[in-house]
Amino acid sequence: MYQRTAQRHSLFCILPPHILRSIAQNGTAQQRTASMQTLAIDHTFRALRTRPRLGVPARPRMLPAEGMKVRTIFDARHTQTLPGEVVRIEGGPPTGDVAVDEAYDGLGATYDFFWEIFERNSIDDEGMPLDATVHFGQNYDNAFWDGQRMVFGDGDGDLFNRFTISLDIIGHELAHGVTEDEAQLIYFFQAGALNESMSDVFGSLVKQYVLGQTAEQADWLIGAGLFTANVNGVALRSMKAPGTAYNDPVLGKDPQPAHLRDFVRTFEDNGGVHINSGIPNRAFYLAATKLGGYAWEKAGRVWYETLRDSRLRPNSGFQRFARLTVSNAARLFGAGSAEEQVVRQSWSEVGIMIH
Amino acid sequence: MRIRFKTEGGIAHFPGLSQPVTIDCDQLPTQEAREVEQLVADARFFALPAGAGAGRQGAADYRHYTITVEAEGRRHTVQVSDPVADPALQRLVAYLQAKARALRRVRSPE
Ligand SMILES: [Zn+2]
Repeated sequence: MYQRTAQRHSLFCILPPHILRSIAQNGTAQQRTASMQTLAIDHTFRALRTRPRLGVPARPRMLPAEGMKVRTIFDARHTQTLPGEVVRIEGGPPTGDVAVDEAYDGLGATYDFFWEIFERNSIDDEGMPLDATVHFGQNYDNAFWDGQRMVFGDGDGDLFNRFTISLDIIGHELAHGVTEDEAQLIYFFQAGALNESMSDVFGSLVKQYVLGQTAEQADWLIGAGLFTANVNGVALRSMKAPGTAYNDPVLGKDPQPAHLRDFVRTFEDNGGVHINSGIPNRAFYLAATKLGGYAWEKAGRVWYETLRDSRLRPNSGFQRFARLTVSNAARLFGAGSAEEQVVRQSWSEVGIMIH
Repeated sequence: MRIRFKTEGGIAHFPGLSQPVTIDCDQLPTQEAREVEQLVADARFFALPAGAGAGRQGAADYRHYTITVEAEGRRHTVQVSDPVADPALQRLVAYLQAKARALRRVRSPE
């Protein structure tokens, strides 16, 4: 679980509290007064905060702390030193640095998606500030979640573009924080593949939400735009057709299975977490397209409630997760409902039978 | 000196990028071979613990590297994950990544 610090609960402000406190200590007299007032207001509103409840309108006007995001973008300036220098804070204008601004906008879109669709107030549902570091390392071909922040490389320019280029990648990294907060799915074997799949599901939903796409219209690709023109491939993964995203002389062939019969047993990649996630990814795609409409409305709701279900354990595998999605579909839409049957059917099509 | 370098993990598993590469200093131009040996010496490679840092709780998509160096009858393997904290080891990993990238390009003409 995350450490609960005072900073993470301080939300009603434009500047992150640590910066406000620094100004309060070191700024001019006028700056000190302004920042201390903001800190005081923050404190007042924090006392008023309540947790979101079902049935409450998505944007409660009297409680500005709820639904307000606090983003901070850092620049590692091509080193591997974290967090780097602060280059854009919440409410600050675009910097003109495309990676900085994509990270800022991507975090905002992801925050808004979780708030507007699930009334989830940030990663921990308590308004955790969102921190991202860009320009990490040199020619760095990766993005990762370090347990507290998102970190993005610029890519080598030969195979990979900058890793902020795909909104679903930003959503993917932030969703790792959500999964850790709710379920602590162990990052190994099937539990790890479920952890990966949750990030792909919510990453893809963020993109679909921003684009206003139905399940039918979505491309269901993870990381489209990330490859340069030198690569024979369209994305890192395809939720619709796992195993078909790339086939390239340098990268090799997309190793994802689309069905349990092709499950890959390996110790590589944390026991195949980015490989076998293809199976639950496709189950989600099938459920979303069969249910129709916007994927976040029904399938996304079922998966989100399953992630929050206390019966989901850190070491849960595909079978238990699938059973819980069916159980949550029945709870949300009625026992024997079409939704419950569609979810069960979707799992059976990837080889996982729920009776 | 021979170095075997393997990269794993990251936001996706690329079979082509997870193949280990071997760098043999005898096959390198003298200047480059000397630089590699210096990088290994600067990192105090043979004194590093076998696990020089694993991903922290809740972390995901980080890469790990397995580096094996053989020199003068000694052999040592170190596993390290991003972000690499030690600047000298960081420079060695950066060199190995660049070298691996170049080797893969050469080996994949089809
Ligand atoms: Zn991931």
